Amino acid sequence: MMAVPSSQQVLDVLSHIQDPDLGRDVVSLGMIKELDVSPQGKVSFTFELTTPACPVRDRFKSQAQDLVGDIPGVTGVDVRMTANVRPAFMRPKPSEILPGVKQTIAVASGKGGVGKSTVAVNLAAALRKSGASVGLLDADIYGPSVPAMTGSKQVPEQVDGRLKPIEAHGLKLMSFGHIYPGEQPTIYRGPMVGKAIEAMMIQVDWGQLDYLVIDLPPGTGDASLTLAQAVPLTGVAIVCTPQDVATDIAVKALQMFRKLNVTPLGLIENMSWYVCPSCGHRHEIFSHGGAESAAKRLGVPFLGAVPLEEGIREDADLGTPVVISRPESAGAKAFEHIASQVAARTSIQSFRQLPVINVH
Amino acid sequence: MEITWEDGKHTTYSAEQLRWACPCAECRGEAGAPGRLARVKALSPEELLVRDVTLVGQYAFQIAFESGHATGIYTFSYLRGLRAKV
Repeated sequence: MMAVPSSQQVLDVLSHIQDPDLGRDVVSLGMIKELDVSPQGKVSFTFELTTPACPVRDRFKSQAQDLVGDIPGVTGVDVRMTANVRPAFMRPKPSEILPGVKQTIAVASGKGGVGKSTVAVNLAAALRKSGASVGLLDADIYGPSVPAMTGSKQVPEQVDGRLKPIEAHGLKLMSFGHIYPGEQPTIYRGPMVGKAIEAMMIQVDWGQLDYLVIDLPPGTGDASLTLAQAVPLTGVAIVCTPQDVATDIAVKALQMFRKLNVTPLGLIENMSWYVCPSCGHRHEIFSHGGAESAAKRLGVPFLGAVPLEEGIREDADLGTPVVISRPESAGAKAFEHIASQVAARTSIQSFRQLPVINVH
Repeated sequence: MEITWEDGKHTTYSAEQLRWACPCAECRGEAGAPGRLARVKALSPEELLVRDVTLVGQYAFQIAFESGHATGIYTFSYLRGLRAKV
C-alpha cells in the first residue's frame, strides 16, 4: 500500500494556486483551513474565500481538487468552500463609526440620472444573494430613491434612541426617504447634509455587516466629502453612461475620490445598450464603451456594463431589484458580474495598512 | 510624533513643527487676509503640545493641541512634504 501524504505535501501543492486579485498564493493568504489527511489517504479541508461573491470560486475548487487528487497516495478529496469577508485595512481596532461593518463601498457618479441608485440597489442585492450580510445606506438626502426601489416605504423603529434599519429583500436599508416619507422635500444647506449623513451612520443600528453599500448623491460636494472624512471607505465604484458628457463628469468624481485617498474600485457603464423587443436589434442609444475607455485611460478597472432594459425600470418601480425578480435577464447577469468584480477589488483592500501614528 | 506610512517608511515630527505648519484657514489666512501664524511671533507652550490625533477618512490626520486648537486637517501628502523640508 502507498504511503499517505503529509499535510505539508498537501499545502505545498495548494500553494501553486494563485489568487489573481491579491497576487499571492492561497496558502500564504491563510485560505486553507481545517486540513485533515485520514489514514486511508482521504484529504479534506476548508477553502475560505475572502468574499462569497468570489469570481474565481469554481475555478479554485476544481484546481484544488485536481492538484490534491494528483498527489500519490490520495484516495479522495473533500473541499468545503466557505467565505469570510475580512475587514478593510489591517486596523488595530474597529472604526468608532460603523464598528460592526467590515467593508464600506460607495457608489458615486458625478453626474445625475445615470442610474446610480439602480446600480447600488442591485449591487447590494447581488452581494446578498451570494451569501454576504449587506446593508444599503441611501446618502442622497434630496432625492432618496432606495425606499421606492426596494418596496420599503415604512418608517424605521426607534430602540434606545437608535434607529433600526428597514429590512427588505434580505438587506438592511436606511434612507432619508424612510425617515421623512411623503412628498415633502428636504431643503438643506450643505452643513446639514453632512450632519444627516453622519447621523445615518452613527444613529442607525447597522449591527454586523460584511458590506455596507452607500448610494451617494450626484456631485463632488458635501455628501461625498462628509463620507470620505467620516469613515475609511474601502473604495468607490463610479457609475456612468457611455456618452462623453457623462464620462467626463464621472472622471471628475473619480479624481475627487483619488484626492481623498479613497481607492477607485472601478467604472461601471450603465445603459450600455438596448435590445428592441419588437425587432431584436441592439441599439446603442447613449453610445457604447465610453466607460471602458475612460477606465483604461485612468488606469482603473472596468467593472462591467449594464444594458438598458425595461424590466430593470419596471421592477425598480415595483420595488424589487432585478437581480431578485428576473435573475435570468441580461441586466441581472450584468449586475451579478459587477458585484463579484467589486467584491474581488474590495478584498484587496483588506490587506492594505493605513498609516499608523504614534505620539510620544 | 511618529508616522508609519503605508509603504513602511517612518517619519518623525515635533509638535512645534506641526503647530507652525497648521493648514487651517484661521492659521493660514483666507481670501488674501494673513492668518494667525503670520501675525504672531511666538506661541504659548500649550499650543505646542499634541493632545490627540485622529484619522480623517483615509487621507489625513486631524491634530488637536493642548490649547484646544484642532481645526487643522493635515493630509498625508502635506505631511510627507513637510518632512522633506526639514
